[in-house]
Parts: sequence; structure tokens; C-alpha cells
Amino acid sequence: MFDIKLATHLAELSKISFTENELNKIRGEMDKIITLMDTVSDFDCTEKSSTNHTVRLDEIRQDIPLPSTPRKDILKNASEKDKKAFTVPKVV
Amino acid sequence: MNLKAILKTATITELSAGLKNKNFSSVELTTAYLERAKALNDKTNAFITIDEEFALKSAEKADELINKGKQKPLTGIPLSVKDNICTENIKTTCASKMLEDFTPFYDATAITRLKKQGAVIIGKTNMDEFAMGSSSGTSYFGGVKNPYDLTRVSGGSSGGSAAAVSASMCVAALGSDTGGSVRQPAAFCGITGLKPTYGAVSRYGLIAFASSFDQIGTMAKTAEDCGILLNAIAVKDEFDATCHTAPFKNCLKDMEKGVEKLKIGLPKEFFGDDISGDVKSAVFNAAKTFEKMGAEIVEVSLPDLKYAVAAYYLISSAEAASNLSRYDGIKYGHRSKTGKSYEDIIKNSRSEGFGDEVKRRIMLGNYALSSGYYEAYYNRAVKIRQKLKAELDDIFKACDFILTPTAPTTAYKIGSFDKNPVKMYSADICTVTANIAGLPAISTTCGYDKKGLPIGMSLMGKAFSEATLIRAASTFEKVFERREAQL
Repeated sequence: MFDIKLATHLAELSKISFTENELNKIRGEMDKIITLMDTVSDFDCTEKSSTNHTVRLDEIRQDIPLPSTPRKDILKNASEKDKKAFTVPKVV
Repeated sequence: MNLKAILKTATITELSAGLKNKNFSSVELTTAYLERAKALNDKTNAFITIDEEFALKSAEKADELINKGKQKPLTGIPLSVKDNICTENIKTTCASKMLEDFTPFYDATAITRLKKQGAVIIGKTNMDEFAMGSSSGTSYFGGVKNPYDLTRVSGGSSGGSAAAVSASMCVAALGSDTGGSVRQPAAFCGITGLKPTYGAVSRYGLIAFASSFDQIGTMAKTAEDCGILLNAIAVKDEFDATCHTAPFKNCLKDMEKGVEKLKIGLPKEFFGDDISGDVKSAVFNAAKTFEKMGAEIVEVSLPDLKYAVAAYYLISSAEAASNLSRYDGIKYGHRSKTGKSYEDIIKNSRSEGFGDEVKRRIMLGNYALSSGYYEAYYNRAVKIRQKLKAELDDIFKACDFILTPTAPTTAYKIGSFDKNPVKMYSADICTVTANIAGLPAISTTCGYDKKGLPIGMSLMGKAFSEATLIRAASTFEKVFERREAQL
């Protein structure tokens, strides 16, 4: 059962806030979605597979330093910044 | 020459020949496509951005290349690009409020490759937000309408690219396919869509959804055109470690060989009760056509297909939850005006910037990964993934490819699944397996239902068998009477 407590916990992990109404709505939707996901519980997991990795890395490039992306490009899409950095509310 | 009339049925090969023979210039061709795209966008909502100025400048450069005798297969050809593929100095929104004002300062590798050939990008196409959906209805900019029936969905998530090609607003397009997002909209909009082998095309610059599934794909009115685009973009790329070191040199080789002696598997699990009668009979008729052309049809089985949708949603949502954690409102993307603390800004930006479906996927992903659920869901899904891949490997020891429906039904009415995400997830049953196993698959039209809506069939083969799939789909297309959307 996907209850409100679990929905609140996952919202916190997801860094998303919901109003009470929104939380009730998504709880109901998630309950149905998890019922579909429960299909996997019927799968026989006793058979051993050779690996858990499905993505193959063919050839990793050499670790050679290259010029970094210019600061002005990095800052271009930030909504709040000064000349050198992103700006955020005081943390400490 | 009446370019307006030509556009409705043109292929890349025909347009390229027209440019070479100086029947028209790339500027004239691009202008004609731009006019059509602008005129039809109000009806279809296929494009989020149409960049007329950039397109015409690119066309001028292409004409110079052609005049100097330096024409390549895509030189001067007007294309469109899904709005989750980064384009330098052109907005790339992922159809999300989160990236509504995001303008990349670099091109995705696939775009660099298109530009290298002198292709003309006319605009960025609409899609489901962050490619999460199968209708293109989750777009922040409004849903895409199907050119065959404007009251129906285009499919998704590459619905804008599919509708743009289908309505001849461009001749071909790039999409991306994480669980069927190139093939299903191609089927709904009556065109051809190719999802390449995982690793065939660099994902550098493709905005990440589920990194072990995501793959850029090609969409056009013919399999051959999909191959021309794939030849242009499939290349080793040091910016993507999962990109194959040696993708095929030419996926259009031996096109004249047809399908004689090819062995085609029909997996019985893909023809169950969930598949509509019209779709089943169109795909079975296509199998008969292949048989008449010299192929051998055999029945095969994929017993664990019943777990595929859940395994796909668990793993892809887990990857999405991780990938989308980068959207904090600080470095780029929507930043909330409310909230006093650092933590508040992150939470409020994400809550305001993401739509409902994206929030559901993040919640599901965090559920599957969280303590107490990881073993029962995520780990089990990974094992299912391995088993399905092994079952497919066995099938491809005996068959050249398998033939299945691309979607259980034809395009449905806009809004039908809005209140039932589970129903929409379940409808991905025909496409997710190719992504789970990282295999190539192509969808092409094989019939029309009683309402005249297109029906798609999919050909899926072993890794890097794109040449065989394109050849087989193209052979079928040559004997199939395709109907254009009437817009």
C-alpha cells in the first residue's frame, strides 16, 4: 500500500514539494503504478546471470587535460550570478 | 518547378538529386519547407522553435558547397531536431518549463555531424516533457496533433518530429528513443522510425533521461532516408564512453538484395489480447508479403516479455531520478522566485519546473532505489533485463530479425490516457524490449485501420544489424501503397 507517509518520504528524497491535495493525488496514482511494477515479483530470480552490467564501455579515452569550458559559457544559463559565480542564499 | 507539390512526397534522395541538378537551390527548398512548417504549426503544434534566420543562413552555405561540387547526401536538406538534442545558440527546452529559457553553448555530436554534411536545421520539435510519455501530451507547450486526424495524439515522445515529417514540414528528423519514442510516434504518424543499436550514435548533447536506454534515432518517410541520416550521425565519439568504437560504415549496403532467404521470427507473445484486431491482421499480412518475397517465417517465443514493461519503468525511472537531480534551479533551468534558503530554492524550482509525469517518474525511481525496496524492485528488474537479453540472443541465433506490431493500437484520441498513466505505460509493451536489450529496431507503416489511421510494424534484430533491418523495411515499402496525411 502506497500510503501518505511513504509519499511524503519520497517527495522529500525527490526534493519536490506537494500541497496536501497534490500529495493525495500522487499517492493514488503511485499506488496504481506500483501495482503494475509488482509484476516483477513473479519473476524467478534464482537463475544466475553472468553480469548485472548491460552497458558496455568499449574504450575509455585517455585521461589528458583539455581546456575547460569558458566561465562565461558556464554562467550563461544561470538566472542569478555575479561575474565569477552562481549566486545562492547564504548557507553558513 | 512547383516545390510546394514536390514536398508532400519528397525523399532525401530525390531532393539531393534536385539540388545536384540545380532544379532548385537549398535556399528555395528551405524557404518552401519553412513556409509549410509555419503554416501548419498552428494545426499540429509539431515545432517548439522554428529558426528561420539560422535555417536560411545554413541553406546559403549549403548552396555554396553544392556550387563548389562538395555536395554530400545531406547537404542543403531541411531537417528538424527533437528539442532534447542540444543545438548551439538555439533554445533546447525538452518541452519543459524547467528548460524553457535554456540555450546550449554547444552542439550535440549528432548535430555536429549533420552540420558537417551541410544539412539545414529548420527547427526544434515538440515532445513529451523530458521524453517521458507516449503521446507528446505531457509537453509544457501543449500536445502534438496527429496529421492524419488532428483530434488524435501523434504518439511520443518524439511526436513533434513524427508529425513534422508526416505533414511534410521537413523531409526527415532526429528523435530519441528510450522505450519506443521514435518507433511508436512513427507508427502513429505513418512514417518510418529507426532506433539504432545502443552505442551506435553518441549521446553527447542528448539531454539525459535514462542513460542506459537513451539513443538518438532517425525519422523519415522511408527506411532508406532513415539510413542516410544514420550514416551521417553514427560515429565513434570520445565524449560518450558508451559510444561504440566502430559502428557500421554503411547501413545502406546491399539494398538491392531484398529479403530472399532471410528468416523472420514472429514472437507469439507480441500478438496477445492487448493487440487490436486491425493491428494484428496488418502485421500478419506484412509477414505474408515478406514470405511471398522469399523470406521464411518462423514462430518464436519470448516467454518473459510479460515482465518487460515493469522492468523498463523501474530501471528507466531510477536512472531518471538520478539524472534529473541536476536540476536545482541554480546552475541552469527554472529558478523559483520564492524560498529563502538554498534548500527552499532547489525544492521550489523543481516543484514549479517539472510537470506531473516527470514528478511521477522521479518518485517511482526513488521508490525503486530506496532502502527496503531496492532488492524487490530495482535489482529484480535488472535481472529481468539480463534474462530478456539472453532470450533475444537465442532467438537471433536462428532468425535474422523478429517482426512485431509497433503499438497495440493506432493513434488514440487526445486526452484518452491523461487520467490513467498505468494504461499508457502498459501500451509500451511492443517497444521497450529493444531498449532493454540495446538492440536496433525499425518501424514502418504496414496498413491502415478502418478509420484510415496508420498501423506500424517493427523489425528488431541483433546488435548492429541496422543494414539488414533497413534493407528489409525498404523492400516492404517498395510494394506497400503508402497514403500521405491530408493537411
